[in-house]
Amino acid sequence: MTSIRRPWLYFGPAALLAGGLVVALTLASDHEENPALATSLALFVSWSFVVAGLIGWSRRPRNKTGMLMVAVGFGVLVDGLTEANSSLPYTLGALFGSVFIAAFVHLILVYPGGDLITRYARRLVVAGYATSVLAPLFDLMFTSHKTCKPNECPDNLLLVSRNHGAHVAETTVWTAVAVLLFLAAFMLLVGRWRRATPALRRILRPVYLAGALSLLLLSVGFVVTPFSGFGNTLVEVALIATFTAVPFLFLAGLLGTTLARSTGVRAIFRAIPERASAGEVEQGIREALRDPTAEVAYWYDEGGHYVDVEGNRFELPTDTRRRVVTRLDYADTPVAAIVHDAALREEPELLETITGAARIALERDKLLVEVRARAERYRALLQAMPDLMFRIGRNGSYLSYNAASTRDLFTEQVVGLTVWDRLPHDLADRILDAGRTAIDQGIPQVIEYQLDFAGEIRHYEGRFAPSGDDEFLMIVRDITERKRQQEEVEASRSRIVAAGDEARRKLERNLHDGAQQRLVSLSLSLRLAQNSLRRDPAEAEKLLDASREELAQALEELRELARGIHPAVLTDRGLDAALESLAGRAPLPVEVVGPGCELPSQIQAAAYYVVSEALANVTKYAQASAVTVTVDCSNGNAVVVVADDGVGGADRERGSGLRGLADRLASLDGKLAVESPPGAGTRVRAEIPLK
Amino acid sequence: MGMTVLIVDDHPSFRASARTLLEAEGYEVVGEAENGIGAVEAATRLHPDLVLLDVQLPDLDGFQVAERLGRLADPPAIVLTSSRDGADYGRCIEESGARGFVPKADLSGAAIAALLVA
Repeated sequence: MTSIRRPWLYFGPAALLAGGLVVALTLASDHEENPALATSLALFVSWSFVVAGLIGWSRRPRNKTGMLMVAVGFGVLVDGLTEANSSLPYTLGALFGSVFIAAFVHLILVYPGGDLITRYARRLVVAGYATSVLAPLFDLMFTSHKTCKPNECPDNLLLVSRNHGAHVAETTVWTAVAVLLFLAAFMLLVGRWRRATPALRRILRPVYLAGALSLLLLSVGFVVTPFSGFGNTLVEVALIATFTAVPFLFLAGLLGTTLARSTGVRAIFRAIPERASAGEVEQGIREALRDPTAEVAYWYDEGGHYVDVEGNRFELPTDTRRRVVTRLDYADTPVAAIVHDAALREEPELLETITGAARIALERDKLLVEVRARAERYRALLQAMPDLMFRIGRNGSYLSYNAASTRDLFTEQVVGLTVWDRLPHDLADRILDAGRTAIDQGIPQVIEYQLDFAGEIRHYEGRFAPSGDDEFLMIVRDITERKRQQEEVEASRSRIVAAGDEARRKLERNLHDGAQQRLVSLSLSLRLAQNSLRRDPAEAEKLLDASREELAQALEELRELARGIHPAVLTDRGLDAALESLAGRAPLPVEVVGPGCELPSQIQAAAYYVVSEALANVTKYAQASAVTVTVDCSNGNAVVVVADDGVGGADRERGSGLRGLADRLASLDGKLAVESPPGAGTRVRAEIPLK
Repeated sequence: MGMTVLIVDDHPSFRASARTLLEAEGYEVVGEAENGIGAVEAATRLHPDLVLLDVQLPDLDGFQVAERLGRLADPPAIVLTSSRDGADYGRCIEESGARGFVPKADLSGAAIAALLVA
C-alpha cells in the first residue's frame, strides 16, 4: 500500500509547489502580455498530466506510463521559468522548456505497456530528448529578434550572435529535424495500430487518437509558426486541445477498464448460469474478456495434463507477443488456464477480476471435465478389452453390454432381452444365481460354461461382480483355447500313463515269454540230466550241453530286455557312446554328429529314445540308404535331428511310437516335428528346453 | 502202458522238455496242443487220461480250457502248470476242476502222480 501512495505523497505537493511558483513568476513577470491566461493554461495542462499520471502510477506502479505523464506535467511547468524577470531562470526555462514535448512523445510511444519495445523506438525517443534541448540551445545562441511583450525578455545568457541569417539557418534545420521526428513517431504509431489485435486496439484507440493528432499538429505547428500569425494561433489552440486531452483520455482509459471490469464480472455471472456446461463457461469468459478467441483449459490431475472443454488433451501454447496463457492455480495446484489475447495483460485488473470470478465456475467444471476425461479413458480401456461385459438386472434383463465385436455375441440382440431369451435355460439359471449371489453377498463369483456356436463348442468363464443394489456385471472371457490346451495336456498325461502301463505289460510278457521260459526249460533239462546221469552219462552230457545253450539264450534275452528298460550304455558311458551303439546295431550306415554340448540325464534319455525310435522307423519303413543323427544345443534347447534319404511320407499321428515320443518330450516341455514329404526322406526333429 | 498225456503249451521248447521228462518217467505222451481251442479238439480226438495244461495261452486261458474239457463225455484229469507261482492265481485253480497245479520248474512225473493220487 505504501508503494502505491508514495507518488502522491511526493509529487502531489511538488506539483502544487511548482504550480504556485509558476503562478508567482507569471504574475510578477514584466514581459508577459496575458498573465491570467498563461497561468491558468499552464496550470491546467500541467496538473492534468500530473493528476492523471499519479492515478496511473499508483494503479500500475511497475508501468512507466504514469510516471512519464507526471514528468510531462512537470515539464510543462519548466517552461513557466521563462516568465522570470532575471536572466538565469529565464535562460534555463527557455533551454529546458521543450523537454516535455520529448517526454510526451516518449509517453505516447510507451503506451500502454510502459516500455519501449523496439530499438527503433528507443532511438527515436533519445533523438527526441536530444532535439528538445539542442533546438532551444541553438535558438538561444542565435536569437535574431526579441519576442517578449510588453517589455523586453530578460538577458539570454547563452546568446552568441544576433545574426538573422544564422538564426534562419538553425531554425530551418531544427524544424526539419523536429518534423521528421514527429512524423517518424506518427508512422510508428500507425504501424503499431495496424498490427494490434482487436483487444489491444480497444486499449490504444483513445490515447492514440489524441496522441497521434497532437504529434501531427505539433509538426504542422512547427512548419506554420514562422509564416502565419493566424494559422499559428489556430494550430496552437488545436494543439493545446488535443494535447490536454491525452491525460483525460488516459484517465478515461483507466476508468474504462474499471467499467469493463464491472461489466466483465457481471457478464461472467450473467453468462455462466448455475448449471452451465463447460462450453458455456468458456463462452462467458470470452464475452467477459471481450476476446472471442479465448480458450479455457482444465487441469486434469489424473492425467497430469490439461484438457479442453470436451475433455480432450490440451497442450498449453508457449506465450507469444500476440497470445498468452494465464494460469489459474489454487495454492500451487493447477485449476485451469485461459489462453487469450496478449493485450489483455495490459488490463491486469480486468483479467484478474474476471479470472478470479471465473475460477469458481472453472473449479467446479474441472471436476466435470475430469469425469468426462476419465469416462473417455475408461471407455477406451473397455473397448480395448477382449472380454465381453454385460450389465444385468436382478430380474435377468440385460441393461447394457460391451463387446469388442458382435461376432463374439451368442445372439446379436442383447439389451431388452433377458438371460432366458438369449441362453439355454439351465445356463441362464446358473448365471442369474451367480449374479444374485454376487449382489447379495458382495463377493465376486466365477462360473465356467460352454456354448454351442453353430456346432462349434466354445468354453467361457463368467465373472460376476455387483454393480448396484439391483444389478450385476458379468465379465465373460473365452477360455476355449485354454480348455483345449488343458485337455491336450490331460490327454498327453493319460497317454503317458497308458504308455507306462503298456510298457510294463509288455515287459512282463517279454519276461514271461522269453527268459522265464528259457529258465523253465533249463530247469527241466537239468532235471532230465540229473535223472540220466548214472543211467546214461552220454545222454546226460547231451542234456547239459542243451542246458548251457538254453542258459546263454536266457541271458541274451535278459540283456535285450534290460536294454529296452534303460540302455546300460547310456547309464555307464553317456549319450555319445549310447548313440554310437545304436548306430552300430542299425542295419544301415548311420552318421552321428554331436552331442556338441553337455545335457542333463533326463534330456539325454529323451534324446536317446528319439534316436532309437526314429532309427527303428527308418529300418522298418524308410527304405533309406543312409541316416544322419545330429544332437546339438541351440537357443537354450537341445535339438535332436534324425534325417534319412528314404521314401518319406511318414505320418506322426499314425504311429504310436512317434506319439509316445511326443508325449515323452511334452513332459519335458519339448516338441517333436516330423517332416516327411513323399519321396524326399524323413526328418524327425526334437527340441527340448535345457531349463 | 503208462498214462496217456496231452501237453498244452504255446512254447515249443517247454512242450519238448515236458515230453522228454514225462516219457522218461513212463508216461505216454499222445499229443501236443499250442492253444486252448486246439487242446479241446485234441482231447476230444485222443481221449487222453491226463491233460497238462498251461494257464497262459494265446487264445483262451487255462481255466476256460479246463472248464470245456470238464464238459466232455469222458473228461480227462487236468493238471495246470505255469511258469508263475500257483499262489498268483488264488482260488482259480481250486475252482477250475483241475486236479492241481505244478510249477513248470518243478514238473516231474512224481509231482503229477502225487496230485492224481490225492
